[in-house]
Amino acid sequence: MHEMALMGEIVQLIEQDARMKNIKYVKKVELVVGTLSNALPDALQFAFDVYKIQEDNCLTTDAELIIHVEKAKAICTICGQQYEPVAKIAQCPTCLLPTGRMVAGETFRILAYEGG
Amino acid sequence: MKIALEVDVLTNNNRAAAFNRQLFEETNTLVINIMSSPGAGKTTILEKTIEALANEFRIGVIEGDLATEKDAERIRALGAQAVQINTHGGCHLDARMIAAVLPQFDFQHLDILFIENVGNLVCPSGYDLGQQHKVAVLSVPEGNDKIPKYPTMFMRTELVLLNKIDLLPYLDFDVEQAKKDLSYIHPQSKLLPLSAKTGEGMDEWLHWIREGVARCKKQSISQ
Repeated sequence: MHEMALMGEIVQLIEQDARMKNIKYVKKVELVVGTLSNALPDALQFAFDVYKIQEDNCLTTDAELIIHVEKAKAICTICGQQYEPVAKIAQCPTCLLPTGRMVAGETFRILAYEGG
Repeated sequence: MKIALEVDVLTNNNRAAAFNRQLFEETNTLVINIMSSPGAGKTTILEKTIEALANEFRIGVIEGDLATEKDAERIRALGAQAVQINTHGGCHLDARMIAAVLPQFDFQHLDILFIENVGNLVCPSGYDLGQQHKVAVLSVPEGNDKIPKYPTMFMRTELVLLNKIDLLPYLDFDVEQAKKDLSYIHPQSKLLPLSAKTGEGMDEWLHWIREGVARCKKQSISQ
């Protein structure tokens, strides 16, 4: 949706943490991105590449972005079936109703970073 | 050195939203975040709303746009306080932008704060601003396929104002289909057809706002 702005959030959160730990540079960032989180891995990679060549942040120019994709999972509140929904309106393949409660796939988190 | 961070990417926004929400609750202010495509009629609806409610409530408006003070000027012309936020290319308002302008309002003398988001049916839906209510505006010329096409917006708004219904005789907008689509993706949401231009349907919207203000005030009495 707006991966440049989201990458700005990621860099800012990492810098906040790095400052407290006296870490000067960051060479690796690991994210968990759900398939239904509205954040697109390709666009995040592009945004990361834009950020890392700029000098006003903690990322090194050869910094690496690792994205762990979290598959979407929903459980139908009527029949209890667990399935992988293709959209946020999690239609149960058996009941054919949007009765799925999303239990995974909406995550958008920073897992870890590496630096020194 | 590897550091496990384990934080949501929108942590900073959500923190600011919680700060905003606390201020709104402590001062019993009804805060409504209005979102739509550009040109759906958000500002016109606000103008008509302010005209209708100016004698009952003290109203403030935060206007979000990429550039210009045009919308804030339209609101100020009606005597209401308006603060313009220019996002300079940003596609949405976030909670920190809102927090930054809140000191410009006197919340002891404010009943309602409208936040008019940047015209965009995608990104604004992802950011909590601390508001109590999210309202979407959809307009007849946009076509009734917008609800299923932009589900992330309509899944999160409790009320959808269908604006420009004075144009229904000239266009192929299927109101019943739009209601059906909305009830499928968000059964608790409501579609409210109106025309800011002719005033048709505005009474129900004004009633919804009055109820919201009453709920805010009641909370303050019970506290």
